[in-house]
Amino acid sequence: MSATATTTPRMPKTSPVKSRQRRLFSRRIGPYFFLLPATLFLLIFLVYPVCTMLLFSFEQVNIGSLLTGITPFVGLDNYRTVLTDAAFISSIKVSLLFTLGCLVFQFCIGFLLALLFNTRIPLVGTMRGLIMVAWMLPIVVSGTIFKWMLQSDAGVINYGLQSVGLIHTSIHWLSDPRIALWGVIIANIWIGIPFNMSLLLAGLQGIPGVLYEAAVVDGANVFRRFFHLTLPLMRSTSLTVLMLGFIYTLNVFDLIYIMTGGGPVNATEVMPLYAYRIAFTQFDLGSGSAVATLMFLLLMVVSTIYLFLIRREEVA
Amino acid sequence: MNYATRKGWQTTLLTIVGLFCTATMIFPLYWVIISSLKNTTELFRSPPTFIPLQVDWSSYITNFVQNQDILHYMFNSLQIALGTMILSLLLAAPIAYGLARLPVRGKNIFLLAFLIVQMFPSIMLALPLFVMFSRIGLINSLLAVILAVTTRTLPFAALILRPFFLSLPRELEEAAFIDGCNLWSAFYRIILPLSRPGVVTVAVLTFLMGWSDFLFPLALISDDTKRPLTLGLYKFISEYGTRWNDLMAVSVVAAIPIILAFIFAQKYITAGLVAGAVKE
Repeated sequence: MSATATTTPRMPKTSPVKSRQRRLFSRRIGPYFFLLPATLFLLIFLVYPVCTMLLFSFEQVNIGSLLTGITPFVGLDNYRTVLTDAAFISSIKVSLLFTLGCLVFQFCIGFLLALLFNTRIPLVGTMRGLIMVAWMLPIVVSGTIFKWMLQSDAGVINYGLQSVGLIHTSIHWLSDPRIALWGVIIANIWIGIPFNMSLLLAGLQGIPGVLYEAAVVDGANVFRRFFHLTLPLMRSTSLTVLMLGFIYTLNVFDLIYIMTGGGPVNATEVMPLYAYRIAFTQFDLGSGSAVATLMFLLLMVVSTIYLFLIRREEVA
Repeated sequence: MNYATRKGWQTTLLTIVGLFCTATMIFPLYWVIISSLKNTTELFRSPPTFIPLQVDWSSYITNFVQNQDILHYMFNSLQIALGTMILSLLLAAPIAYGLARLPVRGKNIFLLAFLIVQMFPSIMLALPLFVMFSRIGLINSLLAVILAVTTRTLPFAALILRPFFLSLPRELEEAAFIDGCNLWSAFYRIILPLSRPGVVTVAVLTFLMGWSDFLFPLALISDDTKRPLTLGLYKFISEYGTRWNDLMAVSVVAAIPIILAFIFAQKYITAGLVAGAVKE
């Protein structure tokens, strides 16, 4: 197209040619204007801030520097401060435990529900829809609800567990440092199940029914069909679901902030909460940036592993 | 037992299991509504009542009629949600269409970038945006929150919209060009109206994301009159630690937009969430 445009001999101001050239120009450049508004927006409010944050992690930034704009370069000091802080090390552990705990249960329960809703039972659409509500609820609301349900004396969860005889004394779900993490994990599992279920269900529906018919003809029972057909075919969907789940769960902030605020005694302080505390209550924005950067690096590592696994999956 | 009756039993059993799981999953929602309608004595009764002995609307009256603060918070939330929705649609629709249909280079780079951006922890953005908005004097404004939330909703919206544009027949644009439309008029007059389901999905989801957001208002707003409902609810938790029926009433009201969206647009939402999470 560009060749035609340049080799067209220049004619003395004849309007048809000129308008044709203009048309050609707008055909080639015009489409880029569709990308422009969003790209500019993201450059200003996303890329630029993220870059400044990376810079901040090497600078001393506090509440004073917001006014003066002076942010002296301090090299790796922020990283050193953070990495020698016991609370940060504990937040890594808490984050990983939280993420792992949530992922295992969300994924397994989500998978079972997906298998259940992949059958032709009545009301299946309605049931699926109702379950999705858990995911869309504002997290502040879900957090408040679970805080109430996990109450140690009047909470319905303790009542339920006691009435079926699983426990005999009330569990202090959110105030006992040894148990508090499980309290928030339970709430987050509830939020995460619909997400896992719907993605896994989409994966299950993508498996051609012919395969199952063939397996039935070959005499494979339900379990063999599950372990030799469903599971292997769901590998890449499962990997995707787990990876997305890992990212979302590692980034969870609101829920824990609402339910425990990171306490009791840092027992539920995950990395985002630690970063928030350092940045917005101690106003050490430099160290807060260092924490956020480290978190992002961790996510990058995980997604690289995921891409590697997925690629191997596609080759195989 | 013959095959047909065994099949019938199996279906019945699975349906019962399904209903049980669904009931368990929506129990928290039931519980919050029930709790908001109990009076304080009944709320702390042991064993708890699963249907309120007497329905008591006083938590709603206290929080929404006598004390107008919450209404104010709700109005702020509404502005944030609408602003996020409009801005996301205005920005996401053209780029999604460009990446679906127009001859541009680097499409894959954009798509990959959108996926990576969704990985960013919100705290990673809240921190520098706080500094940036403080410097340009935009801190403590609803606009700051709208801009911040849109950084999260825009890539998501573009990824959901693109498949809708991809699925439209190409002949439509060609016909529009022959009729004298240019790229933009073809887009606004022909393509957008035909992609209504996609636009509705994105509108609903971005609205809800704006309505529900907590971290950005928390980081960017300190003025009580600018607080959205999510922050208001949090303030309540710390202030009225034990007034659970009031907290539950406010929670129910904060959940209303989501419940409405599910009643009226559930199929759009579920499809959209799945599409947005796994691209297309």
